[in-house]
Amino acid sequence: MGLIEHQFEENLLTTKVDWLLNWARLSSIWPMTFGLACCAIEMMAVGAAHHDIDRFGAGAFRASPRQADLMIVAGTVNFKMAERVKRLYDQMPSPKYVIAMGACATGGGPYYKYGYTVVKGVDRVIPVDVYIAGCPPRPEALLEGLMKLQAKIRNTSVIRKPVHTA
Amino acid sequence: MDFEGIHGRLGAISAPGLSGADRPREADPEDKKDGGRAGDAFVQVEPGEIAAFLAACRDDAELAFDLLVDLTATDPDAQDERFWIGYQLLSTTHRHRLAIKVFVAKEGARVPTATAVYRAAQWHERECAEMFGITFVGHPDPRNILLPDDWAGHPLRKDYEFPTEYHGISCE
Repeated sequence: MGLIEHQFEENLLTTKVDWLLNWARLSSIWPMTFGLACCAIEMMAVGAAHHDIDRFGAGAFRASPRQADLMIVAGTVNFKMAERVKRLYDQMPSPKYVIAMGACATGGGPYYKYGYTVVKGVDRVIPVDVYIAGCPPRPEALLEGLMKLQAKIRNTSVIRKPVHTA
Repeated sequence: MDFEGIHGRLGAISAPGLSGADRPREADPEDKKDGGRAGDAFVQVEPGEIAAFLAACRDDAELAFDLLVDLTATDPDAQDERFWIGYQLLSTTHRHRLAIKVFVAKEGARVPTATAVYRAAQWHERECAEMFGITFVGHPDPRNILLPDDWAGHPLRKDYEFPTEYHGISCE
């Protein structure tokens, strides 16, 4: 850290704003309490003691979208629900993230062909950050998806890139 | 009481609308068209009389069918002109059961509601109505129960065409 090293008293750390904000965000991704089908059972298993999503700082399932950072779409989204999902997503404060958990939320799953009221992927309604395969995915897969999301957050920057005009 | 006993009793009390009985048959290899039938024995009832028939089944002391277990419809074939509506009754006092089928024309299908006899029929009939387009005359609350209120078509009909778009969400 060259110039500013040893310039301050002890117990003072220097870092980058990006690193600090990303560290804060990715270490406390609070999900919304929100389950649509059988995938939600696996999500509950992730929240319980054995798999313990709290290790990643994402164990505080919030009952209100206003307090949540992450929407785990755990299950089958039908048209009747899709409008509610969109509305809940809109109520979440930015920065906000979406995990499409399982085959149904990713692309309609087993209801792709004959499910007359099933939305063929929640990404037709809201933007999705991480897709998780499985029907339903094992708890480990959801944790992996969460880690993928953390990796994604780690690479974001609050500083806008300069716009180059030709 | 077994099926024959129930059928005999229905005849003895001259239950309204009773028009026949059908029993499972052994498969006949010579018969190319209707080679046999698996499943339960059922009685057939005229569509207009079904509510009165159910009331008779419930109120007769020997039959005493006090529970409507299920009510649903089937569209057997796109070529077939008729739906059938199936009623499953159970007597909790006598521990016997009865399957009833009502055949109705698909075009403008209408049957009287069973809600005045069995309140359990209410939600079943709502589902049946939205899935097949059957009108249950006299139903106290004929809204959709599962589908959105503005849903077009009746999904469980064989001639159902899937929507291409719903409220701006593509269905393709």
